[in-house]
Amino acid sequence: MSHTTNKPNLAVELAGLHLKNPVMPASGCFGFGREYGEYYHLNQLGAVVVKATTLHPRLGNPTPRVTEVTGGMLNAIGLANPGVDKVLSSELPWLAERNVPIIVNAAGDTVDEYCEVVRRISNSGLAQAIELNVSCPNVELGGLAFGVEPRILKDLVAAVRKHCSIPLFVKLSPNVTSIQDLALAAEDGGADGISLINTLIGMKIDLKTRKPVLANKRGGLSGPAVKPVAVRMVYEVAQVVQLPIIGMGGIYSGEDAVEFIMAGAAAVMVGTANFTNPYACLQIIKEIEEFMVREGIKDLEEIRGCAL
Amino acid sequence: MILDVIKNTNLTGDIWEMELTGPMLVKPIRPGQFINIRVGESHEHVLRRPISIGAVDRDTPSLTIVFRVVGSGTKWLSEREVGDQLDALGPLGRGFPLPKEGARVLIVGGGVGVPPLYELAREVRKLTEQVDIILGFGSGSDCFWEDEFRQLGRVRVATEDGSSGIKGYVTDAIPNDQIWDYLYTCGPKPMLRALKQHFDKVPIKGYVSLEEHMACGVGACHGCTCHTADFQETKRICKDGPVFSWEEVAL
Ligand SMILES: Cc1cc2nc3c(=O)[nH]c(=O)nc-3n(C[C@H](O)[C@H](O)[C@H](O)COP(=O)(O)OP(=O)(O)OC[C@H]3O[C@@H](n4cnc5c(N)ncnc54)[C@H](O)[C@@H]3O)c2cc1C
Ligand SMILES: Cc1cc2nc3c(=O)[nH]c(=O)nc-3n(C[C@H](O)[C@H](O)[C@H](O)COP(=O)(O)O)c2cc1C
Ligand code: FES
Repeated sequence: MSHTTNKPNLAVELAGLHLKNPVMPASGCFGFGREYGEYYHLNQLGAVVVKATTLHPRLGNPTPRVTEVTGGMLNAIGLANPGVDKVLSSELPWLAERNVPIIVNAAGDTVDEYCEVVRRISNSGLAQAIELNVSCPNVELGGLAFGVEPRILKDLVAAVRKHCSIPLFVKLSPNVTSIQDLALAAEDGGADGISLINTLIGMKIDLKTRKPVLANKRGGLSGPAVKPVAVRMVYEVAQVVQLPIIGMGGIYSGEDAVEFIMAGAAAVMVGTANFTNPYACLQIIKEIEEFMVREGIKDLEEIRGCAL
Repeated sequence: MILDVIKNTNLTGDIWEMELTGPMLVKPIRPGQFINIRVGESHEHVLRRPISIGAVDRDTPSLTIVFRVVGSGTKWLSEREVGDQLDALGPLGRGFPLPKEGARVLIVGGGVGVPPLYELAREVRKLTEQVDIILGFGSGSDCFWEDEFRQLGRVRVATEDGSSGIKGYVTDAIPNDQIWDYLYTCGPKPMLRALKQHFDKVPIKGYVSLEEHMACGVGACHGCTCHTADFQETKRICKDGPVFSWEEVAL
């Protein structure tokens, strides 16, 4: 018997994308791949998800922009990125040569900006999918995030959909009343998949200065501390949508990833863990495989959503 | 990358000196670079702690860091014992560009900004004999490595409370009758600013080492940025720095 027949199958199909395994770095935690590319070959990953990309360059928020809290971290980077044209000309061509699917996270201040960013990324031929970051404030609606009101989200997704000829994932914000309503709105708008969760809004006060640590005062909470919230939300979304789900939030081990898969995720993203350990994604892939061998699982299909 | 703790001693007050050895020492290390150390054994701490490389000894081989205990991460570091292992990434960042041979060099350090300047001073000393060093501390009891620096150049110490050296800030200890070709400095932002102001209109090449809260430490997250001097762009302190020409960045 050949070796490969004993090896469990980690490959997943995600809205037409073929991934060799279900693990990809989360947006904003992996730059455009170059830096972690110094640590290992990126083609070992299921895909690479790059930083939020906006129409115009953004310098981001004042510093400090990051700080640690117990079991996690807060960030208020403020979508710093060189703008879509520079991303397409200087960043993605390098990544495209690494032989790994690329998912570009797209953000904007207005519906038109989102559409234009998505159109340029989609037309470039450099990305295999787009992930819509809907946690950004809508400047036309006084700064309310696009991702908190089902009606607004559905309209945004529907508008963007027209400019997107590659799979479109919508990344949901957890800072909402009903995650199910927003997942359904994204599905109605024409999304090909749902990813969740983005960060939870938090704050840390410095006892010496008696002021918030982050210059932006609030920041997004990520890391192990958010995992139970994320698993719950993936589970709830899996109960109501037919679309493939990418789960994330505090994944640090293969077992953490399996938990998301049991809650209904087809694939997972790993964010903060890359900062703790630059090899986190590779370790998680290995541990998922070990878990499958241990439990006699041949294909992740067998356990996807089994907790539901 | 694993580093073995071969020494961890209290220097003074809440300042510790730790000597480490491991495979990292086969890599080239430039003065001003740092290592990013994982702290704690659980997921309580998710971010590594950046600490400058203070001295490199190629014979042992080992590297030495000096850190002040300011919170839970540095407290954990201070509790490591000889034989313990640390998980550290590095050397990271861009270090100090060295001066031309025979150049006149001024090195100014403040507090825990002093350590990386020691390795720098050793490298500088191989190129020139004209090395002036000014070390600034809160008080005499915070002072460390003064004797080590004395082997490398002319040392002046400034303390805010006057308990050692001259009373005042490092800028008060700069002799007015001397000129230098290079200034290298690391310390609190207000000190860097004061130095830049002091040497305004003087033809001197200034290099500053900056500090910022970091998440990845490798250039991927844009957590640690500073503005360029024209405020049109940002630089990542962990990857493009921590050392910058002071013309290049906004202080
Ligand atoms: C490039 C670089 C080199 C450094 N070199 C030295 C050195 O040689 N010796 C030394 O004593 N200190 C140095 N520091 C500062 C050192 O990193 C912090 O004092 C340390 O991270 C504090 O951790 P903590 O858990 O004890 O404190 P906490 O306040 O509990 O830390 C909470 C979070 O804030 C971050 N943080 C707090 N203070 C700082 C700071 N001043 N700079 C960056 N992040 C901070 C921590 O990393 C952590 O993520 C350096 C910082 C940088 C960026
Ligand atoms: C420093 C940092 C930057 C981030 N930037 C983005 C971003 O640009 N776009 C986005 O959709 N999510 C961003 N996120 C959210 C992550 O992609 C992820 O949803 C979140 O961190 C939860 O996963 P984790 O706990 O594994 O980090 C960022 C998170 C961090 C920590
Ligand atoms: S800490 Fe992530 S870019 Fe510097």
